[in-house]
Amino acid sequence: MRYLNQRYSMPYREVVGILNDVGTEELAHLEMVGTILKQLTRDMCIEDIKKTGFDTYFVDHTAGIYPVSAAGVPHDMKYIGVKGDVIADLHEDLAAEQKARVTYDNILRLIDDPDICDPIKFLREREIVHYQRFGEALRIAQDNMDAKNFYGWNPAFDNGRNGRKSSLNVHQS
Amino acid sequence: MNEQKKLFKMIQSYSFVINETALYLDTHPRCRQALRHYQKYMNLLRDAVKTYEEKYGQMTIFGGSSCDSWKWVEEPWPWES
Repeated sequence: MRYLNQRYSMPYREVVGILNDVGTEELAHLEMVGTILKQLTRDMCIEDIKKTGFDTYFVDHTAGIYPVSAAGVPHDMKYIGVKGDVIADLHEDLAAEQKARVTYDNILRLIDDPDICDPIKFLREREIVHYQRFGEALRIAQDNMDAKNFYGWNPAFDNGRNGRKSSLNVHQS
Repeated sequence: MNEQKKLFKMIQSYSFVINETALYLDTHPRCRQALRHYQKYMNLLRDAVKTYEEKYGQMTIFGGSSCDSWKWVEEPWPWES
C-alpha cells in the first residue's frame, strides 16, 4: 500500500517501476499470510482456543482473518508512510523491508512447523531482495539529484513554479 | 484518437466486460450463456493484447519486452497523461 501510493509522486521512471512491481508483489504476500492463518485456525475447538491464548482474538474476530500485530494492535493506515519526498519515502521503504525481515526472523525463532517456516523463509528472502532493489532505487534517485545538497530540492514537489526555498538552500550565497 | 489509443481502449473495454461477467459467474457458476459470453471476450482480449504488445510494448510485467531494453519503465504511467 505504501509503495503503490508513493508511486504517484515519484519523479523517476525506474523508481516508479520498482514501487509498482514490489507493491503488487506485496499484495500477493498478504494473501499468503491470510492463507497460513486460515490453515492454522481451521478445525479449532474451544479447548484449543483457551489453551493457546487465542481467546482474546477469538472474542473480537472468531476465526476470521483480521490484520493485527502480534501484540494485537490492528493494522491502520497510519502505518503507511507516504511523505511525498523522494529521499524520505525511499528510506521509509528500506526500513519497512528490514522491519518485515526482522519480524520473519523472530517468527522463525519461535516456530518449527515446516508448513509455516517454509513460506515464511520465502517471504523473508523476498524482503531482502526488495531491500536491495530499493537501495538501487535510492541511488538512481540521488544520481538525479543535486549531490551537493540532496535536501535543497524535492523533485517530487519542487519545479519551475515552486522554486527553491532559500532557507533550504544552504549551498547558495 | 490514434491506432494505439483505439486498441488500448478496446482492451480496457474487453477487460471490463470480463470483470463484469466474472462477478456474475461467481454467483451463477453454471449459467451457460454467461460462460459463452466470458469465453467470447477472453478470446477477443487475448488477441487484442497480443496485437498491442507486438506493436507497442508490454502491458504487464508478464508481457515480454524487447531484447535491447526493459520497456516497462519507459511507457507512460496512467497518471502521466
